[in-house]
Amino acid sequence: MIRLENVTKIYNSEVTALRDATFEVNKGEFVFLVGPSGSGKSTLLRMMNRQERPEKGAVWVAGRNINEMPDGKVPHLRRNIGNIFQDYKLLLNKTVHENVAFALEVIGRPKHVIRQQVPAVMDLVGLAGKENRFPHQLSGGEQQRVSIARAFVNRPLILLADEPTGNLDPGTGEGIMRLLDRINKTGTTVVMATHDQRIVNMMRKRVIQMDRGIIVRDQARGVYE
Amino acid sequence: MWSRLTYTFRETGASLRRNVTLTVAAILTSAVSLFLVGGTFLVQRGFDNLLSKWAGGVQMIVYVQPTATPQQIDDIKAVLSQDPSVVDVGKLQYLNYEQSLAEAKRLFAGDPSTFSLLNKTNLPTEYKVVPKAGKTDLLVSLSDSYGKLPKVFKVVLARDQVQQISKLRDFVQTVTVGLSVLLLIGALILIWTTIRTAMYARRREIEVMKLVGATNWFIRIPFMLEGLIQGLVGALMSCGFLLFFNRLWTDGVVKLKGENGFTALVVSDSFLHLVMLMVVLFGMIAGAIASGIAASRFLDV
Repeated sequence: MIRLENVTKIYNSEVTALRDATFEVNKGEFVFLVGPSGSGKSTLLRMMNRQERPEKGAVWVAGRNINEMPDGKVPHLRRNIGNIFQDYKLLLNKTVHENVAFALEVIGRPKHVIRQQVPAVMDLVGLAGKENRFPHQLSGGEQQRVSIARAFVNRPLILLADEPTGNLDPGTGEGIMRLLDRINKTGTTVVMATHDQRIVNMMRKRVIQMDRGIIVRDQARGVYE
Repeated sequence: MWSRLTYTFRETGASLRRNVTLTVAAILTSAVSLFLVGGTFLVQRGFDNLLSKWAGGVQMIVYVQPTATPQQIDDIKAVLSQDPSVVDVGKLQYLNYEQSLAEAKRLFAGDPSTFSLLNKTNLPTEYKVVPKAGKTDLLVSLSDSYGKLPKVFKVVLARDQVQQISKLRDFVQTVTVGLSVLLLIGALILIWTTIRTAMYARRREIEVMKLVGATNWFIRIPFMLEGLIQGLVGALMSCGFLLFFNRLWTDGVVKLKGENGFTALVVSDSFLHLVMLMVVLFGMIAGAIASGIAASRFLDV
């Protein structure tokens, strides 16, 4: 599903964020990217939806080298990739329903599709009944659920999560992980960057460990350290 | 398709409301600058009307009495062609009754009642005389003798009226063109700033849109529509100014009715409407393009 080949990323021609990274993520896999801040986890995620392009190497997503993809095709690539962030990136002036519907609206999905898919995904993330609230009326965990609903409402093949539990207390974070696990079980590939040891140790999924831009460990059913 | 349209209009409306001050500034500046652009065309047209009988380097007009026979008209031509070193015979032009009437129509645009009195018995026909380069003075010295030819009504020289008017026209044109270009640049900068501010206010939204796979055009179009509306409203206001000042001008000029020929400074309604249409199209297109470019410039999320 995702393959990186000898990917090197250098910022401002001096800071090497990634060095010669090579790995492959299969369809339906759940992968943790772990490592301290600045080790290159986020850069790796940003490579996978063409927010960044490497100086060297190739990034393959769903059989296509996305670095050679023309700019006009990038929106279509991104429709197959959901994104979740530590700070949720919700639109504060829109309701929960509008936030989720927005993701479908801006890619031109017709009204009847939106009416059908938004409530379904609300059920999935456990927010049924809170559609008309605004983000500031929700707890952090609920806001993250909205952001997951928005990322998943278009049924993407891949979900990229950058520290999704970083702002949440342990109990709430576990709830989010159970939700991501459920989404993963529907066949969606999940790649999640985190430095939350407890969660990585609890889930026992594949772990790719980064240190200063280099992959130092790639372990199936791994723990944080 | 329908949901895209409603989306576009909703976003455009919200954005216009959010930025009222800048939007009003952009609209007013475009209104004034487009008014000057339109005004430049009208002023130029007025002067062109006034000077039209002298277009193409004509320095002397020999008016022929309406009672002249074709033979007499040919005789005048023969005399005018006698000095090919002074008169550019190739450019010697005779306007018959119909052509003279068409010219009079433009000259009397502001004075239709006088124009309606013209007919075959009282409208002189005319020879337009272009001198060879540098021979204008010689032509002037010959003009008295042309005036004494049979059936010549009168001889009029360009230097008596045209040169001053041409200078005035050049001056007015330079000032209006210069001012309108400056103000147009100002208007475009304001539209640009409005769009940039609007995009900055919505940068989070745009980031999300790009991440969920909205195309750049989808993001850009509401902003372009916003610029188009600003340009359109500004242009409509400038059309109001143009109508108002043209009416004022026409009324003033018509009061000057008489021998001076200044009634030619009046611009016909059809030309005014053409200028207004141009101004509206230009305002819309320039507004849309400026904001489209501004939007693209800030789309790299």
